Amino acid sequence: MPASTVTPEEAFYNRRRFLRKLGLGLAGSALLPQGLAGATAGFPAKLNPKFDGAGLKSTDFDYVTSYNNFYEFSTDKGEVKKLANEGWETEPWSIQIGGLVENPFKIDVNGLIKKVGGVEERIYRFRCVEAWSMVVPWDGFPLKKLIELAQPDKNARYIKFTTFLDPKSAPGQRGRNIDWPYVESLTIEEANNDLAILATGVYGKPLPNQNGAPIRLVVPWKYGFKSIKSIVKIEFTRNRPRNTWQLLAPQEYGFYANVNPEVDHPRWSQASERIIGGGFFARQPTLPFNGYEKEVAHLYKGLNLRLHY
Amino acid sequence: MRFLIKLLIWTVVLLAGLYPAYPLIRAEASVLADPAKYLLEYYGKTATLLFIGVLSLSPFKILFPKFELARDLNRHRRLIGVSSFFFALIHLGFYLVYTGGFTAFFEDIEKPFVLLGLSAFFLLLILAVTSTNRMVRMLGGKKWKWLHRLAYVAAILILFHQALQEKAGAVQTVYFFAPLAVLQIMRMGRLFTAKHKST
Ligand code: HEM
Repeated sequence: MPASTVTPEEAFYNRRRFLRKLGLGLAGSALLPQGLAGATAGFPAKLNPKFDGAGLKSTDFDYVTSYNNFYEFSTDKGEVKKLANEGWETEPWSIQIGGLVENPFKIDVNGLIKKVGGVEERIYRFRCVEAWSMVVPWDGFPLKKLIELAQPDKNARYIKFTTFLDPKSAPGQRGRNIDWPYVESLTIEEANNDLAILATGVYGKPLPNQNGAPIRLVVPWKYGFKSIKSIVKIEFTRNRPRNTWQLLAPQEYGFYANVNPEVDHPRWSQASERIIGGGFFARQPTLPFNGYEKEVAHLYKGLNLRLHY
Repeated sequence: MRFLIKLLIWTVVLLAGLYPAYPLIRAEASVLADPAKYLLEYYGKTATLLFIGVLSLSPFKILFPKFELARDLNRHRRLIGVSSFFFALIHLGFYLVYTGGFTAFFEDIEKPFVLLGLSAFFLLLILAVTSTNRMVRMLGGKKWKWLHRLAYVAAILILFHQALQEKAGAVQTVYFFAPLAVLQIMRMGRLFTAKHKST
């Protein structure tokens, strides 16, 4: 889609923000509960029966939205919710798609949701590299749909995702311990897998800021850090982009980061996981590819997953 | 006065030890989400801060002899040190919960990070066990003093244990240990100049 068609929408949102800054548009924003100001299009979303999380018990909304790794705000998971809701604006939000594609474009998130035909609900396991896990009902759309819109050329082999950069609103980004902004990447094959989605909501509500509003990646067979939050840019590349955690600690975090109970982290075992919200002792064995072996194992045929962790 | 200082130390230690009851009772979601991890980290930090506190007292006393509180606190190094050991013990207890019991613990032992913590813990154990008056008498002042220099080894092990578990730069470790490092360097500087003056 040509960039010109999205301009009116952006202008519309910019005007809304301008009005809000003047204190005129407050009525609308005041209706949204704290932290729920992300992409608002596509609700209510219907559950996709193929990904209904049969047999899984969703983690309470409170835990999902109060226990967040989002180093842009704080390394303390309990502080993120507060800090991500102190003036960080996630609306309007536009996202830029480019690199090795036939059709580069920039689009407002709500416009993008309409363009891909709305969102659906999917219940996924979520396994953090820190050996804890949740079950999250996400609302989103297949990443594949965005790839179709962009039409990558035949040289594109990887997709690089970039998070927002705004040290004024994100106190964690004022520290120099990490080379901001956060970046992540997938192979095109991974990105085209049915399981990979761009999420814009949880529990039928727009993504709270602390969960990566207004749009984030969710790749449930990989450790959580691959599921990059608050995306502003998606680029198709020929060479493999390095991801933030790999740059920070290559001996601990790799490119693939597939959930794998057999490969320990240097400081802890990945064989089992603590279940968030289950008290002191709730624990379960970790499954290969986080339980999505059937769906994704073929992507890694012949790859030594011990070396390519 | 001695009694008041002791009361002060006990109050601080007990409050520090019981503090986590507050978020637990208030059922704060971020704490209840993964309580074993929260408590593990909390008691690791309190144990470390108390340990750094003990090791800071004698250089502080030497460098600032007019500061009475430091002198008074210094008389209760044993109490503070043993409290630190006790928090380390709780830290170890929650580690067992966090990692899923003894089997998991024994599998993790070979990890350098865990080994560092465990070595530090054993040193703290030795220090705590030999801290009684009877032990001081049994060992004799000289030997006891020598043995208790192990505290510095323990501090270095704890420093690396803490630094290794930090995910993006050892920021917190630097905050924790910098004051102690400065005090120790100042004390060494003092000793050095004193020596040169006297010769
Ligand atoms: C007994 C053996 C020990 C074991 C198995 C152990 C294990 C651990 C573990 C698993 C963590 C959390 C790491 C993470 O979140 O990635 C940790 C953190 C920590 N430990 Fe230990 N530890 C031990 C002894 C000690 C001792 C003796 C001290 C100090 C007196 C200590 C001080 C700390 C500190 C300061 C932290 C960082 C807490 C934070 O900031 O989150 N540990 N330890």
